Amino acid sequence: MGPAFPTLTESIMTALVTRLLSFLFALVVASLLLFVAIKVVPGTAAGAALGIDATPQAIARFNATHGLDRPVYVQYLEWASNTLHGDFGTSFQNGVDVGPELGRRFLVTLELAGLAFIVANLIAIPLGTWAALRHQRASDSIITTLATLFGAVPSFFLATLLILLLTLRLKLLPPGGYIPFSQDPVANLRLMVMPALSLGIVSSALLVRIMRAAMIEVMSSDFIRTARAKGAPQRVVVLRHAIRNALSTYLNVAAVEFGFLFGSVVVIEDIFRIPGLGSFVLTGILNRDYPVLLASALSITVFVLVVNLIVDVAVQLLDPRVTDKKAA
Amino acid sequence: MGREINWPRWRLALIGGVIVLTVLLVAIFAPQVAPYGPLDLDVAQMLSPPTAAHPLGTDELGRDVLSRAIFATRVSMQVAFTAALLGLVVGTVIGVLAAYFGGWLDLVLMRFMEVLFSFPAILLAVVLMAALGTSVFNAMLAIGIIFIPGFSRLARAATQAVMRQQYVEAAQAIGMGHTRIIAREVLPNIIAPLLVEAAAAFSYAILLESMLSFLGLGAQPPDPSWGNMISTGRGFMAQAPWISVVPGCAIFLTVLGFNLVGDGLRDAFDPHLRD
Amino acid sequence: MVRRHARPGQQPVLAIDDLRVRFRRRRGVVTAVDGVTLEVHPGEIVGVIGESGSGKSMTAFSVMRLLPKTADLSGSIRLDGQELTALPEAAMRDVRGNRIALIPQDALQSLNPTLRVGFQVGEPIALHRRGTGTGLRGRVLDLMRAVGMARPEQTVRAWPHQLSGGMQQRAMIATGLALEPRLIIADEPTTALDVTVQAGILDLLRAIRDRSGAGMMFITHDLGVVAELCDYVYVMNGGRVVEHGPVEQVLTAPAEDYTRMLLAATPSLDAPLAEVGT
Repeated sequence: MGPAFPTLTESIMTALVTRLLSFLFALVVASLLLFVAIKVVPGTAAGAALGIDATPQAIARFNATHGLDRPVYVQYLEWASNTLHGDFGTSFQNGVDVGPELGRRFLVTLELAGLAFIVANLIAIPLGTWAALRHQRASDSIITTLATLFGAVPSFFLATLLILLLTLRLKLLPPGGYIPFSQDPVANLRLMVMPALSLGIVSSALLVRIMRAAMIEVMSSDFIRTARAKGAPQRVVVLRHAIRNALSTYLNVAAVEFGFLFGSVVVIEDIFRIPGLGSFVLTGILNRDYPVLLASALSITVFVLVVNLIVDVAVQLLDPRVTDKKAA
Repeated sequence: MGREINWPRWRLALIGGVIVLTVLLVAIFAPQVAPYGPLDLDVAQMLSPPTAAHPLGTDELGRDVLSRAIFATRVSMQVAFTAALLGLVVGTVIGVLAAYFGGWLDLVLMRFMEVLFSFPAILLAVVLMAALGTSVFNAMLAIGIIFIPGFSRLARAATQAVMRQQYVEAAQAIGMGHTRIIAREVLPNIIAPLLVEAAAAFSYAILLESMLSFLGLGAQPPDPSWGNMISTGRGFMAQAPWISVVPGCAIFLTVLGFNLVGDGLRDAFDPHLRD
Repeated sequence: MVRRHARPGQQPVLAIDDLRVRFRRRRGVVTAVDGVTLEVHPGEIVGVIGESGSGKSMTAFSVMRLLPKTADLSGSIRLDGQELTALPEAAMRDVRGNRIALIPQDALQSLNPTLRVGFQVGEPIALHRRGTGTGLRGRVLDLMRAVGMARPEQTVRAWPHQLSGGMQQRAMIATGLALEPRLIIADEPTTALDVTVQAGILDLLRAIRDRSGAGMMFITHDLGVVAELCDYVYVMNGGRVVEHGPVEQVLTAPAEDYTRMLLAATPSLDAPLAEVGT
């Protein structure tokens, strides 16, 4: 290792603790907001669970069993304490334990968001790099325009078009559904192609711009000129010297975008009938199924918060002036 | 260097401006422009492909797709305009107050904004709609709320920059009241970046509104909105793809237009952000 | 005034003749270098002095053909008699880092933050296929010792930001020396350093000149440094050479008002003047 091997200084520890505290604060407020918002959802849980011809006695009994007749703050505290102990309650609709279901669905959504993220990066990194290297020439304009076009397509419309083309016209892919990867990897991936493309293409719009801007900035830096002055060919200049540095800027934004992708799966899961967290949220809303809605909405929020927290911390740790830049 | 060779940029902004103007005019003059009413049924012509009578075809109830898409422009523009305005006004008030008075007010307001900001926008929109109930008005409200933290951050940063200038101190020194200082010195100096942000918010609002209606949480059938038209059309994708494709293209073009105008505004107001 | 400081019977390392660099802009053409003629001889440190925008750095980067793509270059640049302006890009790459080395102004910015120092020092050797593996490592260590870097074995594996400013600049100099270039272009290499470190770097450059016989083009805006280091000096203003001559002559008897103005702005020069011109 280098001569001086810097350790985490006190100021970084303070920064980390601050981040962690504001994360916890966000978590509490977010859960409170969600809880209160969901409690005022019009239409009652009992109505949805028992049907419109339920007797007042039956409704009162339903509310009492589920503790819905108590003050909201009591309900919140009880729910919060249960949740902290890993008990997410049972669905009002079918009495199924929400916890295990949540775990299964989390993995499904994680796969979807992960594949979409891969698609987005496979588009954004090469195109952004290419545009930057052809800065202010025709191919730069074409790529920039393409990114602008991608950014204007709603993901659910793109999904609809993909179904029209790949399923209805070319009969290449199934229209929707889900088969676990462990059960049949090929079938799983075939089902994931269109959802991942719909989400990935749309989110590549932003990432192309970020990669392009990062590369343009890096290409104008002094160390690129040094590399050229050493006699390095363009290939070495770009691959060895420029891309590594551009990626460290790019990945900060891309990681946040991954959180964003995770948070925007609702529509796509609905269209492709994927049993993930997003469709769980919709089921919860449709059935006024509070435990389901709360658990799914909160787990999406927590995941996004955690991703953002990790990015924050990683930025601190990877800063070359703070510690060794091992990541690159 | 960018200033000299960015001719494609302003040309794109011009295209965007033309699209935006067209969409706004179509929204305002929908009854005059549309060949049919949005709910007019032509039972003899159900799922008709584009013909002379129905230039963009009809839907499963024989309603004219072009006319419905034209009337849907109104919903989209209303929601986007109101939501962006709500975000702009409330966000600016919060941001300016936080920056101007600072201290605990700043701390409390901005912490709260941070939490709101940390929610995934689409999830927040969906949950808010569920909480508020499905209606066009609530869609405006839900989307507007999503925009508040972004505007408040921007307004706060811009106000802080203004506060560092001499003239605010001078105004305070000669005993000008807070309201007058904010109205005369602060607001005129922070409005440009906020308007750029508003253009971006506008196009994002169009996307969010269409998504909410697509999920059945926004404008309710039979009233047309681009989102619920796409959603209905999905059931007839094999026989009558135009039912979905027409409103989809309408969203695409409108969002594109506002994005291009937004990029143009950003270039015009903030040369530093130029590449 | 003599047009060149040609030395009879000796071919210059670098001979620039009537160099012009123009940038096409939308609102007309900007001329950055306007008919510069200069020579650098083996074992000589030639100062090129001028304020920012005088065209001195443009002249230097023209020699390496590292100008922005919008630049339009005319005139002649000969390295050991070989015309560089007409050289294809691939052949020019063989020249860069091999026969001409650059020592840049801001060493930290000029080092890639994501690569280890040793790798970057040895990179010209690897790029020009003059060594690999353990042999390369040994040569890197030798280079580092030659430029006076502390603890070479550890520094090889250090990251650029872990070195002091002076050590970063020494790393850049080691990089430049890697292939024993004929011409070293030093672009204000001491501007970013504090005075004591600066003195050390100047001593090192002088030692390199003495033992390698390479020609050195030293770009600076600091007459004090010129007085201390250079043998010959070109004064540039507005893209042209306004005056040139042996350092002693230019500094003691400047012919041009512009040079006098530069001299007046460098009060500390009075003392070392007597020692100038060995």
